[in-house]
Amino acid sequence: MKRFVLRRVFTGILTIIIVFALNFVVIKMAPGDPITTLMGKENNSPELRAALEEKYGFDKPLPVQFANYLKTAVKGDLGTSIIYNRPVSDMIAEKVGATVLLGLVAAVLAALIGTVMGILAARHEGSAYDVIASGASYTFNSMPAFWLGLMLIILFSSLLGWFPSFGLSDTRAGYTGMAYIVDVLRHMFLPVLTLTLVLLPQYFRIAKSSVLQVMNEDFITTLRATGMSEKKIFNKYIFRNAILPTVTIFGISMAYLITGVTLIEIVFAWPGMGRLVMTAITQRDYPTLMGIYLIMSISVAVVMLIVDIVYAMLDPRIRYE
Amino acid sequence: MKKRLALLMAALIGVVTIMGGCGGKESGDGDAKTEGGGDGGGTFIIRSQGDPVSFNPDTIGDDNGYPIAQNMYLRLCALDVSKQNLVPEAAKEWSYSDDAKSLTFKLREDLKWTDGEVLNSEDVKYTFDTIKATPSYYFSASMANVESIEAPDDYTVIFHMTEPDASFASILGWYATFILPEHVYNNGQPWEDNPANMEPVSCGPFMLEEYKQGESVTLVKNPDFPDQAKLDKLIFSIIPDEATAIQALKNGEIDFYENLPTASAKELEADDSIRVVYNKYPSPIRMIFNLRDEKIADLALRKAIATAVNRDEISEKVFSKVQEPEYCLYPSMIDWAANKDDVAPSFSIEEARKILEEAGYKADADGMYVTGLTIDVFEGNGYPDTAKLIQATLKEAGIGVELNVQEYNAWNQKVGIENDFQIELQGGFMGPDPVALANRIGTGQSSNWGGYSNARVDELLAMGVATSDQNERAEYYKEVQKILSEELPYFNIVSFAGPEANSARFENLPFDGEGKWAWADYSHTELVK
Repeated sequence: MKRFVLRRVFTGILTIIIVFALNFVVIKMAPGDPITTLMGKENNSPELRAALEEKYGFDKPLPVQFANYLKTAVKGDLGTSIIYNRPVSDMIAEKVGATVLLGLVAAVLAALIGTVMGILAARHEGSAYDVIASGASYTFNSMPAFWLGLMLIILFSSLLGWFPSFGLSDTRAGYTGMAYIVDVLRHMFLPVLTLTLVLLPQYFRIAKSSVLQVMNEDFITTLRATGMSEKKIFNKYIFRNAILPTVTIFGISMAYLITGVTLIEIVFAWPGMGRLVMTAITQRDYPTLMGIYLIMSISVAVVMLIVDIVYAMLDPRIRYE
Repeated sequence: MKKRLALLMAALIGVVTIMGGCGGKESGDGDAKTEGGGDGGGTFIIRSQGDPVSFNPDTIGDDNGYPIAQNMYLRLCALDVSKQNLVPEAAKEWSYSDDAKSLTFKLREDLKWTDGEVLNSEDVKYTFDTIKATPSYYFSASMANVESIEAPDDYTVIFHMTEPDASFASILGWYATFILPEHVYNNGQPWEDNPANMEPVSCGPFMLEEYKQGESVTLVKNPDFPDQAKLDKLIFSIIPDEATAIQALKNGEIDFYENLPTASAKELEADDSIRVVYNKYPSPIRMIFNLRDEKIADLALRKAIATAVNRDEISEKVFSKVQEPEYCLYPSMIDWAANKDDVAPSFSIEEARKILEEAGYKADADGMYVTGLTIDVFEGNGYPDTAKLIQATLKEAGIGVELNVQEYNAWNQKVGIENDFQIELQGGFMGPDPVALANRIGTGQSSNWGGYSNARVDELLAMGVATSDQNERAEYYKEVQKILSEELPYFNIVSFAGPEANSARFENLPFDGEGKWAWADYSHTELVK
């Protein structure tokens, strides 16, 4: 087991390094650069461009730029945003909270509701409930998140006036203390609802199909033949076996939690990581992009490592040799 | 197991109840809003598309930071909403010498920095000396003709020019020319690294209270500013999505939205609680030819293309007639300088085909005279749709063009930096004064992406800045436009007008202040209902 864990840690680190180098090359290969943003739209002065390129070291060959970046990154310094002239780590730290708040609440809600709905649909397969729930699941699964978000804004903010349409808090009122927390919860409602509705179908379908699959296994028939009650069979044998794929999906979604949900963050003006990534891409803010990608690849690698270890512990049939 | 399920359900119901409970707080929130509005001057919320880059407004040209800077800092003089009139800010008055080689500003004597220091001519001299000495600052290149800056007393500043230039005051009223406090910035550090960029010492009607990246910038009234702002707070709320911002405006969550999509402007006009104004800029959408290209270098082809562009159709279908057809080579809204006689050709497919026939072009089996041309445009602002309509009418005239649509940064790299294009569409400011033409069509100039060069044009442009007599200048610039209408290195398609919508509860917005205040100055704005 120890050897197995060490090997997984090693491959994890290797993956991060490869992803890091690849990101650097891909970002630099994209046409355009941060200088265009720094110069502003109405300015094309070549003197200004040359001065800025020299200042940020873009006049040096690519391998030299990479070595310089690597040097600071190894020290744990993600560098300074070219556009905002602020430490990248500060910018990321400010955004992580809002992103995790939105992503985690929606992921937990979607997993819980979706799984419960899926199990019920499987137990009453073919019933009116199953038909309605499956239909709704397919409908939300095929809806673009940004469109759904906008429709919810029009319904709940513009027509009914129940919830605010954008942001994390009410800037006009500027609440503090308990009122602020309530204000944030109110602002969270629509983005969380949108994200939950979008994420729910996958949990619904997985729960439904795995419960159905397990219900048709031979050992369940055998248990039934012994006269065991349906309730006991379901709670003790079906549920435990059927819940495994849901746990896997939930685990993976946790790894991507930190990257944010760009489209929903844009529609609701939610100040999270997804928007930070998007803005950094359009402005070609290299240090910010590299920093975010590095954090992302580390978080994915770590979660995958944990998932692998948990699997090996849970299921004695899995042997990594 | 059953218990666990029950627990899960209980947790779920709990969460749902909290959410539901939050919905019930609506009335409390409503009260807070009225309080905020009724208490003194009130709060005005402006939609901003993105974050300001810095609170030092002079290092780079920053569209998101510009309206914020105009309320925190002062320039010597500023352009008003028409983008043609200069209005005083830190300077009371200014004048050129007779030879247009020096420009003297008299400063107001009642201005202070937010840390209590007095704003004087040394601050002005320091600001512009530093900009001139630092090529990476936005306005630096525009100061190439400034030989020296003199501060003979506390409230007088004189700019001495190498060559005569009667347009310098007007560019001082545009971007990145805000006066900065010498006692804060003159500490040996480059401006962009100074901590004051995040805790600014400013001199305008408002000052920074709080900045939350990705969320909002909150300014409050500067109590020491001599002409007190009527509002208590000015908030720039960052909403990247246009559709969300429109809903927020309708719901009263924001009070102002600049440059909204024309289709939405028509819809908002029907709403009594919202006022829509069309803000015109001398920034027409134009087609620029790359004269280095072999095919494009042929005048007959350029003429045929210019004749086959249907401006009326573009204005109607892409811009709901808000942006009107523009035939003049210099924006017709700048009345004194625009040549309304020598203009680009009007739309006629037959005429375009005739021009090509006469120039010796032969039509192929499909009726095409020329194929394989490319138009480069960037995403957004109606450019791709405009290009599609142009592509269709050009095809009728027997000219085959492909569209290449890219995101702005990539387009700028290809077209602006590498000049790797045949035909491109772009906007961009051509005001406040026709002196702006020099940078766009003068031989070897940085914004002359098409590589146009005409000795007579260069001569006329030089004569245009060397005098301050407007009638004489108009003659030179009109002759320039006559030559441009014959040689067609570019031509304008539609004028620019940006719809702006605001809550009808407020009046005296920046666009109500033509000839009186700067075009993003909110210190006169007040709550009326």
